[in-house]
Amino acid sequence: MFRSRSWFGVGLWKPKNPHSLDHLKYLYNVLSKNQTVSESNRGLLVETLRSIAEILIWGDQNDSSVFDFFLEKNMLSFFLKIMKQKCGSYVCVQLLQTLNILFENIRNETSLYYLLSNNHVNSIIVHKFDFSDEEVMAYYISFLKTLSLKLNGHTIHFFYNEHTNDFPLYTEAIKFFNHSESMVRIAVRTLTLNVYRVEDRSMLRFIRDRTAAPYFSNLVWFIGNHVLELDACVRNDADHQSKNRLADLVAEHLDHLHYLNDILCLGIADLNQVLTDHLLNKLLVPLYVFSLDRQKTRSSSPKNSQPYVSSVVSLFLLSQVFLILTHAPLVDTLAKIILHADRLIFSNSSTQDKIVLLQQGKASVIQPGFLPPTESLEISLEISLDVSSRSMSADSAELASPCTSEPRSRQPSLDDGTGTTDKGSEEKVDHDKDNTEANLNITDEEKHLLKVLECQSGPLACPSSTCGDSNAAPSEGPLLLSPEGPVPLAQPLSNQPFIESVYNALNCQENDYAALFALCLLYALGKNKGVSGALLHGVLYPCQRPDTPCTPLLNRYNLSLVEKIVAIITLSCQPSAKVRLVTLELTIRLLTQIVMNANVSFLQDGHLAAIEGAKEESSSVLRNFYKSEEIFLDMFEDEYHQMKKKPLNVEWLTMDSNVLLPPTGTPLTGIEFGKRLPCGEVERARRAIRVFLMVRDLSLVLGMESERALPLTDSSTCVQVDHVLNLNNSDLIGCNVVLKDGSRMHRFLVIDVIQLILVEPTRRLGYGVAKLVGFLQDIEVTGDKDDSRCLHITIHQPLSSGISKRVPLLSAKFIFDDHIRCMAARQRLTKGRAKARQKKMVQIARLLDIPVPQSTASSSAAFNLHAARRQESALRGGIRIAGGREQRQVYNAQKLPGHAAALRRENTPSPSNASKSPDRTRVRDSSRSREASPKPMRPRSEEIPLEDIAKVKDQGSVSFKDNSPLLPVPMTSSILTSNTSTLSPSHVSLQSSAMSESAGPSTPSSHSPAKVSEETSFTSRASSQNSNSGGQRRRGQVETV
Amino acid sequence: MSYAYLFKYIIIGDTGVGKSCLLLQFTDKRFQPVHDLTIGVEFGARMITIDGKQIKLQIWDTAGQEAFRSITRSYYRGAAGALLVYDITRRETFNHLTTWLEDARQHSNSNMVIMLIGNKSDLESRREVKKEEGEAFAHEHGLIFMETSAKTAANVEEAFINTAKEIYEKIQEGVFDINNEANGIKVGPQHSPTNPSLSPNGQDRGQGGGCC
Repeated sequence: MFRSRSWFGVGLWKPKNPHSLDHLKYLYNVLSKNQTVSESNRGLLVETLRSIAEILIWGDQNDSSVFDFFLEKNMLSFFLKIMKQKCGSYVCVQLLQTLNILFENIRNETSLYYLLSNNHVNSIIVHKFDFSDEEVMAYYISFLKTLSLKLNGHTIHFFYNEHTNDFPLYTEAIKFFNHSESMVRIAVRTLTLNVYRVEDRSMLRFIRDRTAAPYFSNLVWFIGNHVLELDACVRNDADHQSKNRLADLVAEHLDHLHYLNDILCLGIADLNQVLTDHLLNKLLVPLYVFSLDRQKTRSSSPKNSQPYVSSVVSLFLLSQVFLILTHAPLVDTLAKIILHADRLIFSNSSTQDKIVLLQQGKASVIQPGFLPPTESLEISLEISLDVSSRSMSADSAELASPCTSEPRSRQPSLDDGTGTTDKGSEEKVDHDKDNTEANLNITDEEKHLLKVLECQSGPLACPSSTCGDSNAAPSEGPLLLSPEGPVPLAQPLSNQPFIESVYNALNCQENDYAALFALCLLYALGKNKGVSGALLHGVLYPCQRPDTPCTPLLNRYNLSLVEKIVAIITLSCQPSAKVRLVTLELTIRLLTQIVMNANVSFLQDGHLAAIEGAKEESSSVLRNFYKSEEIFLDMFEDEYHQMKKKPLNVEWLTMDSNVLLPPTGTPLTGIEFGKRLPCGEVERARRAIRVFLMVRDLSLVLGMESERALPLTDSSTCVQVDHVLNLNNSDLIGCNVVLKDGSRMHRFLVIDVIQLILVEPTRRLGYGVAKLVGFLQDIEVTGDKDDSRCLHITIHQPLSSGISKRVPLLSAKFIFDDHIRCMAARQRLTKGRAKARQKKMVQIARLLDIPVPQSTASSSAAFNLHAARRQESALRGGIRIAGGREQRQVYNAQKLPGHAAALRRENTPSPSNASKSPDRTRVRDSSRSREASPKPMRPRSEEIPLEDIAKVKDQGSVSFKDNSPLLPVPMTSSILTSNTSTLSPSHVSLQSSAMSESAGPSTPSSHSPAKVSEETSFTSRASSQNSNSGGQRRRGQVETV
Repeated sequence: MSYAYLFKYIIIGDTGVGKSCLLLQFTDKRFQPVHDLTIGVEFGARMITIDGKQIKLQIWDTAGQEAFRSITRSYYRGAAGALLVYDITRRETFNHLTTWLEDARQHSNSNMVIMLIGNKSDLESRREVKKEEGEAFAHEHGLIFMETSAKTAANVEEAFINTAKEIYEKIQEGVFDINNEANGIKVGPQHSPTNPSLSPNGQDRGQGGGCC
């Protein structure tokens, strides 16, 4: 009947209209005629199902009668009937996809309610599909997920039946929580979160009472096993072979934590309590925290077969926990256990409930320990739901195992009984052993303290009886933390084995493998919002009551920890230290956190002296790398900018599985530089630079001083594009700039002290506007072999711009009026570049306390010329200056760029040195004698012609022209003025040291006056902190303290 | 149905850019909405052929799950390819690409192939984002780019298949570790190295009934 009507209808209006009620009627007819699936009608059925989905969506948006018909004919029941036959994946998949499309696209709320109103959807949910077929599985779980996205306060009642305590959508889905397919697991997690966030009390009560314990205990066990796998991966992969696998496991663990955090962040109090309980009692404490202190526990009770992970892994995982989870009751309790609990929490059953107590005084009957759930989630759920549907009788608990019973079980006694009889006896033995061993190794003093501790822990038992009402705030919890504040510091660490092992891990003598994660953990603990401040003040932050008279300055911070930290810093500054840069950076950050409050440092003098000593050490290491080679300056500036631009992100650090493997030195692993040890001379130099910069920075922070010497380029004094400049009296060279694309413009070239500027004249006479500005140090100049009037100039981006791809700022051909001007320009550029670099090298030398020769004494051009020629001839003769003298003397500013080959240290003799060994002594002598007189140090062969040219120019006044580069004779005085005018004030002091140098011209004596001044300045340093020269002075302090 | 490889894709982008429509259009071609019907789906699978090999694509839409950090994280990690979709008629969906891309780069494995898709190319009259802009963005970030229309099905096949080709090439080059399923790539049953000559038919029957 329908068929003929629809055929008639279709024939009448449109030959084929798939979107009409009539078409649906036709499809209904097909379905009702093909209720049995067979080989022959499969294709037809699938096609029909697809069409139904399409029509229904069309109907939902256009014609409500379509939906009415669908419901009236109860067409969903056909779906069920088809499903119940073993119809194969082909039909099943289409069926599920049709349902997916239906629920995904329906906009009309009433349509949705109608679809859900009869229980068909729930019947489909509980249908046992062939889940071994991955396609069916994927469509099925997507269907559930789609449904979960439709959940809200109204629709929840179609899925959750309060009276029968039935919630198939949720209970069926969570059975796949550990499915091998990651996408399925993600869908399950999405679904659970979508369920939890529906605010429906009775549903949430059902979730908590009937499903939370089974689900969470299984989930926690699943996570724990991932952790064991991760540990095995780390253990068996010292050679970095299965990095991918490890990376996955680490990422997986992060996923778990983020999932747990997402649940906890929904803020469903009851659910969070169950979850927190399980996490603490079944995973975090018995596996993670237990493994921190495993060595001792194992030695004292060899029988103990409890699973564990290596302490490195445990530190790493705990860092992740504290970086991600912020649920206060969870992290605060965990922090307390790590900071204050003793080994007894693992020892016997009577203390087991300590963990329970710690959790905000709420009771739990979960038996602590990392143990597998007694049965699979599916069975637990069945039992739990079965029981509930039958009756709420008392025997229900008998069926439920300890770990699956609800947290608020009505039979705590029953669980206690079963939980402790078998386990308890065994553990008791372990505990006794523990005690005897402990007693053997401790001093009387410690014994006393142990008693004290036991007394303190006595009252712990009390709240257990009154747990119901002790909803105390975490900070007031029944813990060992006394309200007096820094008492924890006074307690010997042996009573706090967990934090003790964290501190012990900070030992970097062999390597910094574990230390890095111990630092991560401490840092994460300190930064976690959920951990109460009371727990951390005095441990990871300065004590908060500085005004209390009874608290001497001594106890303002965690002394033992700071000592460990200072030791790491000191060690890092050793030349061959096995401390990675990332470790040092984190150490420094932690130190400032522990000893500083509101930018005020509480660091004691002894510790401060140690830091200063470390800085001194680091600068002396760096002095060995201070080279004339160009790359040194570039490296120095690059390291500085990287340090400033990319501060360490600890969360990202703990996402990197590479750091979980033992530290390595080779870059072949692909591990970035900061996270491994240096390899080769260049990397060692980079490391030395970075260590110096970081420790210097720390020293400034601790000294509450501001940075004055870095960055080397003071950008505030630089000319910027569009600045209008007074160019009267400056050297201007007119030129045409031809770009790569052929465009050409006329500009004037101005060469400043550190910058090259292309200006365009303005209307005001003698003034110009800067069109392009580049740093002289970044230019490359080459001549043109075909045209003597041309130069090819490339200006690179400054390192400080932080652009990784260094696209040149400008790369162009400069055409000058004639070849003389061209030569002049070239010379100025080349020399300007050398000078700009030299100037910075001098700045670095100052930072490193390398004596900077300032040839202030004589300034006769003739003399300079003469000396320069002498030197030049010496160089031409192929004689190399062997660095046989004390190293310090090698670092003369004059022997900077361009003279790389001329300078060698004794330990790396150049080939020519070896061949001309007889000459060597002579040269050394001559160089020493030259050294004795400061005069010949100034000039350089390159300068000669330049100065000749420059001589005719006049001196330049104080304005911009003062900075014009080719400052002629008298060289030295002008250099000095330009220094004072352009450098930061801290350098002014150098004038005086330079003076003293000139007063006592011989090198050894010239060095000592500087030292004296340092030492004298130290004495007044505290009072006058503005007494400049940030870095250098401190040295004296360390030596005298 | 048996396959040589299974690639998992995710589709990301702002809401309303037509992600689920693209997905449905690709996996079930019959929904060519001549009539004005927007219809989408969150999951779909389809078999394609590349280089004579059967490759199954599984596409997961991540819509509606942005509220949970753990979910987006996990999705990214489990995928071998991602379609990053914006709507050419809504400038803001284009502006948000950077955020999406950062997210993707942060959470996904480094080899994930990302294709940028400017959807709704049929609505030329309402275009707000020029094709050149999409191209430039893709070029800058090393993505493949295409403009598609889920409505007219223009370029939809190509978008999914080109992404698959890229992944396939990476497998051939050995960039992807195919033994690691966490990468979003699965090796099909007949590709098991132990018995490559095994006829897939036997397994086929067992799994998927009447696929013929």
